[in-house]
Amino acid sequence: MPHVPPAATTPRPSPTRGAQFLRGLHIGLPVFLGYVPVGAAFGVIATSIGFSVVQAVVCSATALAGAGQFIALSQLRAGEGLFGVLAATTVVNLRYVLFGATMSPHLRGLGLPGQAALAFSLTDETFAVNINDRREGLSTAWSMAGVGAVAWAGWVLGTLLGAGAAGLVGDPSRWGVEFAMPAMFTALFVALAEDRRQLTVGAVAAAIALALPAMNSLGIQISGAWFIIIASTGAASLGTLLFRSEGGRR
Amino acid sequence: MSSALIWSVIVGMALANYATRFPPIAIVSRMELPAPVMRWLSFIPVSVMGSLVALEVFRPGGQWAGSPTSPYVWAAILTGLVYHASRSFLGATLSGVAVFVGIRALLGS
Repeated sequence: MPHVPPAATTPRPSPTRGAQFLRGLHIGLPVFLGYVPVGAAFGVIATSIGFSVVQAVVCSATALAGAGQFIALSQLRAGEGLFGVLAATTVVNLRYVLFGATMSPHLRGLGLPGQAALAFSLTDETFAVNINDRREGLSTAWSMAGVGAVAWAGWVLGTLLGAGAAGLVGDPSRWGVEFAMPAMFTALFVALAEDRRQLTVGAVAAAIALALPAMNSLGIQISGAWFIIIASTGAASLGTLLFRSEGGRR
Repeated sequence: MSSALIWSVIVGMALANYATRFPPIAIVSRMELPAPVMRWLSFIPVSVMGSLVALEVFRPGGQWAGSPTSPYVWAAILTGLVYHASRSFLGATLSGVAVFVGIRALLGS
């Protein structure tokens, strides 16, 4: 990382790589705790439709794609072939393209191998935690690596627990597992929607996201996989037109 | 379901997901982006979270929630308030899940 002269009033990243990495593990802890139960739910469902424990764990360890993995399972269960499954998971995860583009100005100083490693751990939650941390001036490549590592560990560990102990865990919804992701998203939304412009754009995105499925009942069919992409690019475009001054920039 | 199909799905998903994650970082970080594009990107995080929250809370599992005051809605409101007051992701997430389980038990659903 380039050495930036310290400013008197702004918070600074920890001085050593090790300390930055540990800080990443620390701020990533909520992601870990959220991923374990949701990963376990993935493990339970995957083994119930024919995955072995090894297959479920390898899938989580290599894809690290929450919603994308659940979509893949539902497509497999519906009898889709390889192409249909991959198409669905790719569309659901197209938002990673937006995340990557948003993160990239902050990753300029990093070489290609470093970018390649951080790209692997890019998820909704690691992205939001890192962007929030970046706004406070504390984020570095090493803290992002820490966030990514702890998130990956939670997702893989959860999958292993769910797949390995599917019979023991029983119905994971008893523990409110289905609200772990929405709760994380809600807290992250509040963290990001701090000024009036960001809040306005976020609210517009939410309204578009709910209007799209409502349009389905009017006979205009849009696949659910596209809701988030259409809503977020649409709201961001509107925000760019409405808020022209630099104040809207983060 | 054949083991070969499952393995090919696993490998394909790993490749497909990485393909959406890495190239944008590698390419965009080597370009100087114009100010309007930067402004557009600055609105992406809050937009994605806003649409994710709306869909997760009002359309859990891809179906409209049974009522506008489902456990999802109340638990989400509380999660947001706890985060706003405490600035703790962990505290907010755990309180949200606890309230969700509690309300669901009360409603008997």
